Amino acid sequence: MEPIAKKSLIGQRVPKPDAPDKATGRTTYINDMVLPKMLYGKILHAGRPHALIKNIDVSAAKALPGVHAVLTAADVPEMFFGVGRDNRPLKGGKVRCVRDEVAAVAAESEELCDEALRLIKVEYEDLPAVFDPAEGAKEGAPLIHDNKPGNRSLAYQFKHGDVAAAEASSDVVIDSVFNVHYVTHCCMGTSCVIADFDCDGKLTIYSQTQYPYNFKMDLAPALGIHPGDIRVIQPPVGGAFGSKLDVYPFEPVCALLAQAARRPVKLTFSREEEFINAPTRQPVRIHMRTGAKKDGTLTFRKVDCLLNNGAYTSWGPTVPFVMMRTFSSHFRVPNVDIDCRAIYTNNPYAGSFRGYGNVQATYATSIHADMMAEKLGMDLLTFSLKNAQKSGEVTPQGARLNECVFAECLQKAADVTDFTAKHARYAAERNKPGRIKRGIGMASSIHNAGGAKIHKSDGCGTMIKLDDYARATVITGASEIGQGIDAVICQVVAEELGIPMSDITIVNNDSAIAPWDVGVHASRTTFIAGNAAQRAARKAREQMLNAASKRANMPADALDLREGWVVHDSDGTPVLKIDKLLREMHFSREPELVMVSEYYEPPSEPENKEHVGDMSAAYSHAVHVAEVEVDTETGEIRIVKFTSVQDVGRVINEMGLEAQLEGGIVMGIGYALSEELKIVNGQVRNPSFRDYKVLTAPEIPPMELHFIESHSSTGPMGAKGIAELPTIVPAPAIANAVYNAIGIRFFDPPMTPEKVARAIWERDSKLAAAE
Amino acid sequence: MSQVPKESAPLEGYAAPSTVEEALRLIADGDATILAGGTDLMLQTKPGGRLPYRRKLVNIRRISELRGVSEKDGRMSIGALTTITDIDNNDLLNTVTPVLPQTANCFASSQIRNAGTVGGNICNASPAGDMIVPLLVLDAEVELSAWTNGAVTTRLVSLDKFFTGPGRTIKQPNELLTRIVFARPDKKLFAGYIKSGPRPALEISTVSAALSAIRDNGKLSRVRIALGAVGPTVLRAVKAEAYLEGKTVTAQVAAEAARLAAEDASPIDDVRATAWYRRHLIQVYIKRLLENDSQG
Repeated sequence: MEPIAKKSLIGQRVPKPDAPDKATGRTTYINDMVLPKMLYGKILHAGRPHALIKNIDVSAAKALPGVHAVLTAADVPEMFFGVGRDNRPLKGGKVRCVRDEVAAVAAESEELCDEALRLIKVEYEDLPAVFDPAEGAKEGAPLIHDNKPGNRSLAYQFKHGDVAAAEASSDVVIDSVFNVHYVTHCCMGTSCVIADFDCDGKLTIYSQTQYPYNFKMDLAPALGIHPGDIRVIQPPVGGAFGSKLDVYPFEPVCALLAQAARRPVKLTFSREEEFINAPTRQPVRIHMRTGAKKDGTLTFRKVDCLLNNGAYTSWGPTVPFVMMRTFSSHFRVPNVDIDCRAIYTNNPYAGSFRGYGNVQATYATSIHADMMAEKLGMDLLTFSLKNAQKSGEVTPQGARLNECVFAECLQKAADVTDFTAKHARYAAERNKPGRIKRGIGMASSIHNAGGAKIHKSDGCGTMIKLDDYARATVITGASEIGQGIDAVICQVVAEELGIPMSDITIVNNDSAIAPWDVGVHASRTTFIAGNAAQRAARKAREQMLNAASKRANMPADALDLREGWVVHDSDGTPVLKIDKLLREMHFSREPELVMVSEYYEPPSEPENKEHVGDMSAAYSHAVHVAEVEVDTETGEIRIVKFTSVQDVGRVINEMGLEAQLEGGIVMGIGYALSEELKIVNGQVRNPSFRDYKVLTAPEIPPMELHFIESHSSTGPMGAKGIAELPTIVPAPAIANAVYNAIGIRFFDPPMTPEKVARAIWERDSKLAAAE
Repeated sequence: MSQVPKESAPLEGYAAPSTVEEALRLIADGDATILAGGTDLMLQTKPGGRLPYRRKLVNIRRISELRGVSEKDGRMSIGALTTITDIDNNDLLNTVTPVLPQTANCFASSQIRNAGTVGGNICNASPAGDMIVPLLVLDAEVELSAWTNGAVTTRLVSLDKFFTGPGRTIKQPNELLTRIVFARPDKKLFAGYIKSGPRPALEISTVSAALSAIRDNGKLSRVRIALGAVGPTVLRAVKAEAYLEGKTVTAQVAAEAARLAAEDASPIDDVRATAWYRRHLIQVYIKRLLENDSQG
């Protein structure tokens, strides 16, 4: 046998294990699933923003043949659920937004469900409604919830240092109001759930959830059953992006229908329903005041945020948790004063969405950086470098920035794009004649990259077993919702165990089998689940090497596992095949199976009441540069080139990393340029892809991705979480580029052609009038 | 706004004729819904859509004689079932009147272009109907056929007179649009088309515009301007056309023509754009078309 050299899978380009089946249409998504004796469910939504329910007549719907259950609030116990415990599966008494669930039916087909819903007669008495949070906060505004005086929902404050003194000592102060808008996730698979009760009253729920274990805890109060009596199965899903990080009413409604009908029930949203009834990104009015010294040193940020809570509280109004982190730590900000308030209105409501508040906050901080640099007469790179933190610095909220490469990211982004020279040249050309104007813009941000301890635990459990043929099964709490964790776990485990990735099976779709995990969010899964998988794999490796050591009569640390063989670590000489070793271990006089478990808890701490705490085990930065062309007549913006430089800790799967970054950037560009859920008087005006513009292939610009490897001391193989920064940074980079091109700031994305054309026309009209 | 789809009447029959005569006999009672490419019909007739089915669904896609482009005696003829992709790829049209392939190329997505037909696009009578806009500036006529008194009868109607409102035309329920015809354009005729949208593909035009004219020694004659998505139907900008007749294009002339075209239009505010932006774009586009700069 030839010696086997040591090779590493880490940093290689590895296809996702689920990709071939998905590409060839073999995957059975939850939306495709059919259970024996399954019924279909549908919900009657209110369609009006604020009204008393005077009467509901369901008699005709109940009488329709093929209908097995018709439910209204009167048929179910009055149970409250949700982040603010202010939501009910079915609404009784009154409705508070258009999406409110008034009645639900289960029938033999979706068509029968529609027919049954048409037969339900609801009498409403419309109430005065409020859609603007500033209006909602005023005295005498319509009250949305009787027990929420002043329509006050969640509120957050953070103060550090002395902002008044810092302002007094500042040479330059800028003050702006940003209004960031409603967008929605646009998952390819619309919301879908299948609920099935057994005769003992135990619920099996097939769900798109991205947090299966706490999902049980959050669903139980909506149904009045014990969380332990809920089993969550996670079939493949068509995207989540944060939209499946909470329980939404359609899920308990489906379970209640299944309970009433004593049959499995499947409930799926149409695309129109999805646009109206799925959560949005949280819109925020951000009033930000920033100060700096003449030399460019930032002195303070004072921020006031007003959040449109909508009618109920999901994760949306909790985004200040992350926004405050950005306001206090995107650049070195010695003094901060942040005040955030969410006010109930009769609008639909927001949930969590990739970037979680940081998309909103970075729009403000990165545009203010550009404005401040201009006002100081500095170039943005110099200004940014001046205020970029270094490794070891601690932010006002207690984030310890280990392995911080912010400055390297800034320098690299500027170098590869020729940023400073181009920026100066385009600014000089701005007022010369010409229809097409070019601009270049830079933006940056910071995000947690080692999980986020917002629950009691931020951990992940993992079990590994090997069979007699050296095939490994990894049972992990980490959910695969398309982001690519299966590939990462295969790589990490294969690396430790010396077996091919194709010999590894991942099981992570059943809460009755897989151990606990807090969920897919906060760019945490590669970091947390990767660490858990590596630690579990090392236990299995140790057990195997110890057994091999006895058989080879060599110390365990002189052996290694490579390509299916136990080998000499020093020269790669093969000793014993791994499958043979496993059989010998199994069928010996002292039999042992390799089956190990690990629960990894990152070394982070929850925030205290003052919002101070090192809540993530790692932090990371990204710098984006957008080069654009603006058609000054039509207002159309074309992105000529998009460059991203991101601290990824260490590349694990280069292919998966690229895909996450590209997908995230496309989402960020859509947020900047075209996507907007238009909600007028509480109604969603554009509930279709015809009028809600996600980017399509022709608009996706050429991208250049650069990875900076900072080698996190806490991450698996040195990796950091990467998934949210790509969506967080594009919009302000584009806004700054547009300013460089035409000299107009946009504080209210998206920068649609009409908005841009109007702004140019208004400016030119004013200039013409002044002449 | 209810999210529960409204009920659609059940269909009683379906037929897929292979000749025009067969089709005309089937629809002679005026109680048939006609299926060509289906790209609009499928959306409109689904539950909650605006169009209820008539009693019969007549699929005309198998009538091969209605597909293709031909020229005879200086007259161009495009069969109603010619797909948008056919037009995009047609060599004859590319030589004779490139504005039609150019328009087809901006039409929705490849999948829609492969299925959608030019006849269907016209009969759908959308104020934003892409193919209608350039056909109007080519003075196109449509051939309407019917089965009357035991024989096939046809009438030619100017496309200009065909539309009566959004989704409404003068076509009778027993008639089938069979062909689009127009004179082979003069060699001195230039024609261009521009359409807007926050993104190029899959766009329901916010505004589209086409312009054609004969340019002789710099002077314009036979000027035609058509505007999409700025009124209840695709419309002709007659004031702007009249103004340009006999003019030589200068910056001032273009600006005045653009201003008049914006007056000719009657755009509205809706979820896609405001009337202000639609008028603004008309002016930008008319100027560009006059400068023969239709590349956007």
